[in-house]
Order: sequence, then C-alpha cells, then structure tokens
Amino acid sequence: MEKTDFIKKNLPTILWGAALISLYFVFSSLIAPYSSGITLNSKIVVDRLKEIGGFLLGIFGALAVVEIYFYQIFFRQPTNQTSAIIIRSIQAFIAIVAILLVLYFFNATDLFRIGDGGLGKIVNAPLNLQEALKNALIKSKFASKTSAGTTASILLSLVFFILYAVIHFISKPRASKTGLAYLLILPAFIGVLFLIIYPFFFEIKLAFSNASLGTQATKNAQYGFIYGWNNFKTLFTGTVAQDAKFGAVLWRTVLWTVINVTFHVLGGMGIAILLNRKLMFKGVYRALLVIPWAIPTTIAAMALRNEFDSRYGLFNILLGDLNAWLLNLSLHTQGVIGIGNLFHWLATVIGPVSWKQDPFWAFVSVLISNIWLGIPFMAIVILGGLQSISQEYYEAAEIDGASRWQQFRNITLPLLSPVLTPAIILGVVWTFNKFDIIYLITQGGPQEKTDILVSSMYKAAFQFYRYGFTAMFALVIFAILFVFTLVYLKISGGLKSATE
Amino acid sequence: MKPNLISRSLRWFFYRSHGDSPFKTLLIHLTLIVACAIAVYPALRVITISLRPNDTLLTTDLRIIPQNATLDNYKEVLFGSPEKNRQSDFFLWIWNSLSIVLVTSIISVILAAVSAYAFSRFKFRGRSAGLVFLLTTQMIPAGMLLLPLYIMIAKLKMINTSLGLIIAYAVTSVPLTIWMLKGYYDTIPIDLEEAAYIDGASRFTVFTNIILPLSTPALAIAFIFSFMGGWSEYLVARVILQKNAIFTWPLGIFTYAQQFTVSWGQFSAASVLIAIPVMALFLYTSKWLVSGLTLGSVKG
Amino acid sequence: MASVTFQNVIKNFGDVKVIKDLDFIVKDQEFLVLVGPSGCGKTTALRMLAGLEEVTSGQIQIDERVVNDVAPKDRDIAMVFQSYALYPHMTVYDNMAFGLKLRKTPKDEIKKRVQEAAEILDITHLLDRKPRQLSGGQRQRVAVGRAIVREPKVFLFDEPLSNLDAKLRVQMRAEISKLHQRLQTTFIYVTHDQTEAMTMASRIAVMNKGILQQLDTPQVLYDRPANLFVAGFIGSPSMNFFPGTIVVKGDAVEVDMDSFSVTIPEGLADTYKGMNGRKVIFGIRPENIHDPNFAPVNIHDQRVQAKVDVTELMGNETFLYMLNGKNTIVARVDPRSHKRVGEDVEVIFNMDRLHIFDAETEEAIR
Ligand SMILES: Nc1ncnc2c1ncn2[C@@H]1O[C@H](COP(=O)(O)OP(=O)(O)O)[C@@H](O)[C@H]1O
Ligand SMILES: [Mg+2]
Repeated sequence: MEKTDFIKKNLPTILWGAALISLYFVFSSLIAPYSSGITLNSKIVVDRLKEIGGFLLGIFGALAVVEIYFYQIFFRQPTNQTSAIIIRSIQAFIAIVAILLVLYFFNATDLFRIGDGGLGKIVNAPLNLQEALKNALIKSKFASKTSAGTTASILLSLVFFILYAVIHFISKPRASKTGLAYLLILPAFIGVLFLIIYPFFFEIKLAFSNASLGTQATKNAQYGFIYGWNNFKTLFTGTVAQDAKFGAVLWRTVLWTVINVTFHVLGGMGIAILLNRKLMFKGVYRALLVIPWAIPTTIAAMALRNEFDSRYGLFNILLGDLNAWLLNLSLHTQGVIGIGNLFHWLATVIGPVSWKQDPFWAFVSVLISNIWLGIPFMAIVILGGLQSISQEYYEAAEIDGASRWQQFRNITLPLLSPVLTPAIILGVVWTFNKFDIIYLITQGGPQEKTDILVSSMYKAAFQFYRYGFTAMFALVIFAILFVFTLVYLKISGGLKSATE
Repeated sequence: MKPNLISRSLRWFFYRSHGDSPFKTLLIHLTLIVACAIAVYPALRVITISLRPNDTLLTTDLRIIPQNATLDNYKEVLFGSPEKNRQSDFFLWIWNSLSIVLVTSIISVILAAVSAYAFSRFKFRGRSAGLVFLLTTQMIPAGMLLLPLYIMIAKLKMINTSLGLIIAYAVTSVPLTIWMLKGYYDTIPIDLEEAAYIDGASRFTVFTNIILPLSTPALAIAFIFSFMGGWSEYLVARVILQKNAIFTWPLGIFTYAQQFTVSWGQFSAASVLIAIPVMALFLYTSKWLVSGLTLGSVKG
Repeated sequence: MASVTFQNVIKNFGDVKVIKDLDFIVKDQEFLVLVGPSGCGKTTALRMLAGLEEVTSGQIQIDERVVNDVAPKDRDIAMVFQSYALYPHMTVYDNMAFGLKLRKTPKDEIKKRVQEAAEILDITHLLDRKPRQLSGGQRQRVAVGRAIVREPKVFLFDEPLSNLDAKLRVQMRAEISKLHQRLQTTFIYVTHDQTEAMTMASRIAVMNKGILQQLDTPQVLYDRPANLFVAGFIGSPSMNFFPGTIVVKGDAVEVDMDSFSVTIPEGLADTYKGMNGRKVIFGIRPENIHDPNFAPVNIHDQRVQAKVDVTELMGNETFLYMLNGKNTIVARVDPRSHKRVGEDVEVIFNMDRLHIFDAETEEAIR
C-alpha cells in the first residue's frame, strides 16, 4: 500500500528523469566530434554546478550572518548590565568587521582608493587575518596548501558562530513588532543596494573624471570638478556619440517614448476591452495575442530586422505588390478622369521604401517593431484591471442613462487608474531606456539618426570608450526620468493606493 | 428544423454577452483575428526561413511553408556540420543560459516573495519610502549600471564567469518583482492568516501554507518575468562574456549572423528551437497572467 | 472547559479609545453573547481574547492563566470569523484538518474527528469540495466545523450569521444553540442583533461605545434594564421613552409628560416619593400597551389618549404608531383591535411594567 503510493507519486518524476537522461545519451551519440567548436560535456556541467553552488553557499552564508546579527538586535535583550556591555561590544566588533569588509569591497572595486597606507592596512585587516591564518595553518602543517584557505574560512566562521552563541546565552527574548519586517526585506535590500546604489555612486564618481580608453578606464583617470564640468559641457555642446548632438537625440527619445507608450496604451486598451467579455475562443485569442511578448526579444528583433530588408523583407514585398496593383488599376481606369490619375499618383507615392538608408523610415521601422513588441504587456495589465471592475457599476450607469463613452470616461478610466498609473510610469521609463531593439535592428543608423539617448550612451561607452563622459550622460538621463516621474505623480495623484 | 439549427449554431458562434448584437460580435471577432494575424505572422516567418533550403534563402516568396522545405538547418544547428568540420555549440549555449537564468530567477523570486510579504503585511517605518525607492531603481538606465558593473565585475575577476551575470540579472529583476508580489499579497484577506494563527500556525507556517499556495499565479508570473528577462538578454551578456565557451544563446546565435556568410537559415532554426519551449512555458502560464500581474492594483 | 476573565481591559488604536475598562467574567460552559451596535468594540474585545490584537492595559485570563502574552495558537481557542475565512486552496476536509495537522495529531484521529464534526453539521458529502464550490450556508457550517474538530476550551464567534439570509439565520441559530448543549464548552458569541442574543445566550453582555453596560441573563436584561441604552437596545420594537417630571401629590406619585401624565402604582411608588420635581424618562415597552378591549385583567392600568398615525398588521399582532402631543407611542396590540389611521383612540399602559430612568445619568431608578 505504502509502496505503491510512493511509486504512484513519484512516477512522473522518475519518467521525466529517465527521458532526460536518455535524451542526453541520444544527443551525445549523435553529435559527431568535429575539429572546431566545443561540445557540452559532463565536465563543463559539473564545473558550472560547482561554481554556482559555491557562489550560492557564500551568498546565503553571508546573508545568514547578517540576518542573525539583526535578529539578535531586534529580538534579544541583555539580562543585566554586564551582559549588556558584553553584547554591545560583540555587536560593535562585528559591525566594525562588516564595515571594514564593505570598505574593502569598495576599495577593491575602485569606488575609492585607500591605498596601502595605515588606513589601507586597517581596511584589509579582516582579509589579512584570513591570509595570516592560512599561512599559519600551512606552516604548522595543520592543513595542506589546497585546503588551508577553506580551513581558515571555516575557523573564522566558527569565531562568528561562537560570538553569536555568547550573545544568545547571555540575553533573553524580547518582542518586536517590526523587527521581523526588517529581517524579511533585508536580503533583497542588501542586494539592491549593493548592485544598484554602488554602481550609482560609482557613476557619480566617474562623471567627474576623464576616464577613457586613453586613461585605461579608471586606472590612470584623473578626478575633479573640472572634468565633470567638461563632461557636462561636452554633453550639451559637443557630440554625444560620433556626430549626433544631445538636443536632437533627446527630441528623438521623447518622440520615441511618446509614440511607443501612446500606441502601447491605446492598443492594449483596445485589445483588453475587446477581450473583457464573454466571447468564443477568448483563450485562443489571448494566447495568440501575447506571442510578441513571449518571443525572446533578441529573436523578435532579428526577425523584424529581416522583414525590413529592402528586397526580401515582408514590408517591401507587400508595398511592392500594392504598388504594382495600383499601377495596374491606374492602367485600367485611365479613361476615367480623376480616378485614373489618382491611382497613378498613389502608385508613385506608395511603394517600397528604403528602411535602412532613409533616416525617417529607419526610425519608423524601429517604432513599428517596438510597438508590436509592447502592446501585449499593456493589454494584459489593463485586462487585469478591467476584470477587477464590478459589472454592477456599468449596470448602475446604464440605468442612469450613461452612454458607452460616458461609462468609459466616468467608470472605466477612474477605476483603472490604480493599475494604469504605475503601468504608464513604468512604460515610459522602460521605453525611454529601451534600446536593445534599436541596437539590434538599426544599430542607431543611418548616421546615428535612429539613436536615442541610451543607445548613444551605450555607444559612447563601449564603442568610443568615453567612460567619464558616459557617466555624466547617464546621470542626466536619470535626472530627466526622475523629474518626469515626480511631475507625473503630482499630476495623477500619486501612488498612494499602491504604497499604502 | 433547419433554420433553428442554423440560428442555434450562429448563436453558439456569436456567444452573446450582455447587450452585444451579433453584428458587433462579428466585428469583434474580425478585429481580434486581424490582431492575432499581426501578432503571429512575424513569428511564423522565422519558421519559414528556418525551413528554406540554403540556396533559396533570399526570396520574395511569402508562403509559410516554403518550396522544398527541409530540416537541414535544424540538423546543422543541433549536430554540427561535417562540411565545415564544425561541432554544434547549441547545447553549450543553452546550458550556459539555462544555468545562469534558472539560478537568477530562483534567487530573485525567493528574495522578492519574502520582502514583498513584509511590505504587504507589516507597518514599519520606511515602508513607503522603500517602495518608492524600488520604483526609482527602475529609472536607472540599464546602460548606466553597465559600465560600473563591468568595472566591478572585472575587478572581482568575474568577467567570463556566469556569476557576474547572475548578480546583474537577479538584482535588476528584484525591485519590480517585489512590487508585483506585494500587489498580489494585498488582495489576500488578512482573515485567512488570522484563522491560521488561531488554528495553531506560526508566522512561517502561515507564509508557506497559506500565502505561498494562494499566490501561485503571481509567483509563477514573477518567475516567468525574471526568466524571460535574463533568458533573452543580450547587451549585458555581451559586455561581461567574451569567450565562446561561456556564451549564452543570444550571444551564440549571433555567431551565425557574424560569420563571413550570414547563415540566416541556421540563425532562424536556432531561434525556433530556443523560442518554442519558452513560448510554450509562457503560453501555459498565460492563464495566470491576467490575475497574477498586479502592478500595485488594489482589490476592487 | 474554561472560564474567561477580562480585568480592566483597555484598548486604544493610537489616540482612539476603543475599549474603555472592560471588566467581566465568563463562566465555564456558559454561552455568553456580546451584543451592541456596530463599531462599539465587540470584535476588538473578541480579537484581544483570541490574541489577534494586543491589550493596551489590563489582563485577560483563560481559566487561571493570564494570556496577554500568549500566542493565539497556544490559547486553546477556536474562532469562527464573520467572513468564514476558509482557506480557498484547501478542500473542506483539509480546512477542518489543518489545525489538527499543525498540532501533529495522528492521522486516524484527525479522520475520526473530522468525520464526527462533519456528521454533526451534516456536511459529510461536502468534504472533497473547495470552499468556492459551497453556498453561504454550507461555508458557515464548514467554518463551525473547523472550530469544533479542534475541541478547544473556548469557542469564539464573530457575527457568524450576518452574511446569511433570514431563514437560514434562524435555522443556524437553533443549530448553534444545540451545538452548545452538546459540546458543553464555553461559547463567546459576538453580534449586533439583539434577537440572536436573546434567543441563544445564557447571559448577555451589552456594550456601547467601548463600555460594558450590563451583563445578565436575557430575562433580567429585558425585565430590569440597568440604563436607558440597554432598555432601548433589548426588545423589538424598542421601548417607548417619554421625558417627564415626577410630581408627588400626597400619597400618589405621578409622572408628568406635558401632553399626558401617568400615576405610578402604589407598590412601586415608594421609591419616587422623595423625588418631587426630578427630571426623568418614563419608559414602557410596546407590548405593555394594550387596546382596552383586549387588555389583561388584574393590572394597574393607565388610560392614555392618542391619535393613530400608522398601523402595521403582522397577522399575529398589530403595531400601532400613535401621536400624543410631541410624543410618539408605539404599541403592540391584539390583532383583533381594528384601528384606522387618524382615529382618536384610548390605550391602556400596564403600569406594573414601567421603567423610570434619570434624565441626566440615564440610569434606571429603582
Ligand atoms: N485596526 C484598527 N485601527 C484603528 N481603529 C480600529 C481598528 N480596528 C477597529 N477600529 C475601530 O474600533 C472601533 C470598534 O471596532 P470593532 O471592534 O470592529 O466594532 P464592532 O465589532 O463592535 O462593530 C471602531 O470604531 C473601529 O473603527
Ligand atoms: Mg465587528
């Protein structure tokens, strides 16, 4: 009974496992050993698993140390004066070690340079200690060269463990209403702070430097207010990438953002309204309509890029056919005054365009692509919002004699605003910063005429290696978005409902 | 008998919702069908190109199944090519991408699920500020983080390792995921948790036995978002990964486009092979999309 | 099996004082109903007892144990929520078994207890369903079932019937009473509906604005309300109140209401003899006002003139709304007394059942 239950429960898992393993063997026997290229083999897999496993262990270990530290601060209290002194000094000691480690990290990653002087020695102390311990272990033949590092780390962790245990045993529990909340948000915030705030400060620092290829990035870079000023001046007077000027690119970015978000919201709203009713095949429509969102962006971008090919792309083939059809029509209607000429005129206007060479059409091509990609997301967000609006409001409005438009204006839009406000803000911010489509489809060409701010910035950094300038550029972009959001929140009444 | 049947089946087709006339319903169906065609066609074209034989790649033919359709491109992508004496890197790229993106998504969903719970259920000092801060991080252009991140990862000697990318991806997806999950948790009545406390549950049990199962849609969507974000990411990967052996697939398939002769056939075949499982996953979860994607929406 | 003690319990939400000095004892095996208008703090009191809300000051005891700092799960209580709070992702069986599973009860035992509870509540056939597949009444039963499988010391109910329709409510009322008799445990039941309170309770605690007004058996509450609020809250339709003045005329004591006056019967008059000129509120229940043709015999009667304003025929009885000067008189009379709107009538007050309250303190004067 128990046994059959076990088999029944785990049979799918076992079958999946077996299928995957046999698939692996089938493929590895099929893949012929040619001279160039690399085959995925078990060694690669194991190495990666080791690498990631060690990394995760390190991250979660470090998080655990931090969490226990704060747990003890929030949820334990000293029993008497002596224990208070001991606990506080242990906590202060750990805090100092943590601060030193953070400083070390900043030092090692160039946010600032402490050098090897007195301060440097202090900052490096925790790691030097590990190094010293390691050497001592090797000397005393306590551990081999390979395992000494690990052993030293384990020993040091043990010290932390003991310190925590001491605190635990000379303290008593205490209630905290909000302590748990802080413990819960801590891991995410440590991550976000380190990897968003750190680069942010780094960016500010870089903005006031002349870092470039010539200075070997930050190695020989000079820092000072004057460099910042120069970068700032260059941004508004000089060229942002190769030839483009800031004003023109900013204007194009605004166009890019406004056109995209407008179409996303309108298109999304239209689709959502059509789908928000009882309808045959609703599930099928919904599934098909989210396909542009489901396709990996890189693939979608490359597929669309091909469709904008001047000879073999879908758009020009269709436009060519349309042109031929119009010409044909004008031939047949030649006799009819007006109409014949009209068709002839249309045929001269409508026809294949050069998506790659003409800046206007190139910009249109990236717009079409990004609009196509972005509508499904808005449609789904708005559909979710629409579905949460009770049908009763509409029935009440209908009884009051409201027209469809009035219902939309007075019920749908206001009730949708808690969903629409963040969606539009995020839409604008993302579109403003979204340049993978541009980068993949036109590379900003021709002559940087389809670049937006962020793609120019990417070029400035990774094609022209103007690091200091790029940093200033990035700060200005951030400031623009920040001001936009503040203004939008002021106008739209804010995110109260969402952050409450 | 017959008219009745026809009208019945017509009514069946134009399932009439409140107040929609059959004509309007027909129009709605037509609009949706056109919209679906626009949404699907470019994707179908990728499949078309992947099926073309190498000598007719460039054609103005608009048929979905091309003439002389062949699976040669797929074969070369999967198993390498004897003529070029070249092995297939396809599985290597997939493995690289998968190992990075799966770990990323798992980390970011765990971190976000836990902190979103705190944001949804606790009143603590700095709560609103924290939420606004998370939203602000979305305004930092990815390109802006890229340069310092690159320098940092270089200094930490993590260029050409998967770890650099894992860090970069996880952190960029966490803020938005927190927002989404917080919005979803807010719609779960607090009564349920209190009932569980009285039933004998601890906070942890409540989280794992009540909150998590009830937010499956949102968790699934959060996972899919992180996954999709990292899965097709190109620009950050291009900066951090420079060796063939560590390439993720977006970098990998561009090697088809950058060889002396651009092999669109293989590029498309690889794209199809990569896109189809992801799209299947996405479509499978699309039933949750509508309910799970709560961007700070409040319970109506 | 447990008693519950509230000792000088105070609860503030920030600056808002929600519960002001709650002090009472719920005896073992008692069915105590906590009744009062919406927003008076009943739910808050119950939640403090359940451990879902902290006590600002004072003590709550279950048996002899002070539970102020005890977690809800360790208080050995069960609670039925107004919204039922059934776990949507679990079947009815799992909903009921959840608490037992958390307490590591053996599987067979869980099965037995859930089956038993399901049989008591007649929901055996629903055990495999999810809550959203149930009707309101069925959900209510499951919520009760979830409480009883735990076999707790104290059952807490927070307006469990307010989301049901009228007929179902009457039925469930009887079932909960039966359940109490069967389980012989302490029940604490919160409601704003005085009919529920009167029909189910062994004792009723009436609350208003965070203050306990009176705690006694339903009959005492009805017969001898301690103050104006209790008198008005208990009984339907509400008691008639007429502001007036006590006038002592030799041996006789009268209450003067401007447009009419009444004489207090001899047996009761002693209390009020020394209160000449005192402002009071005279109260009498609608059921103690009669049509002269159908008035009971052997009562101290008092005839009062009035003009019929509205009549409500209920079939088994008739409500008369009458005007006398500025006063409205509501009477619940025999259905055979056919009065027409606008008619001038004479009604009889049964003066044995009068209530007199101080106009200022609103306390009953006895
Ligand atoms: N969490 C809270 N914060 C602030 N005020 C509250 C809270 N809960 C209840 N109140 C207030 O306390 C008063 C009593 O509420 P409650 O106990 O729910 O009343 P009842 O159950 O008797 O209707 C109400 O005025 C309500 O507004
Ligand atoms: Mg209440």
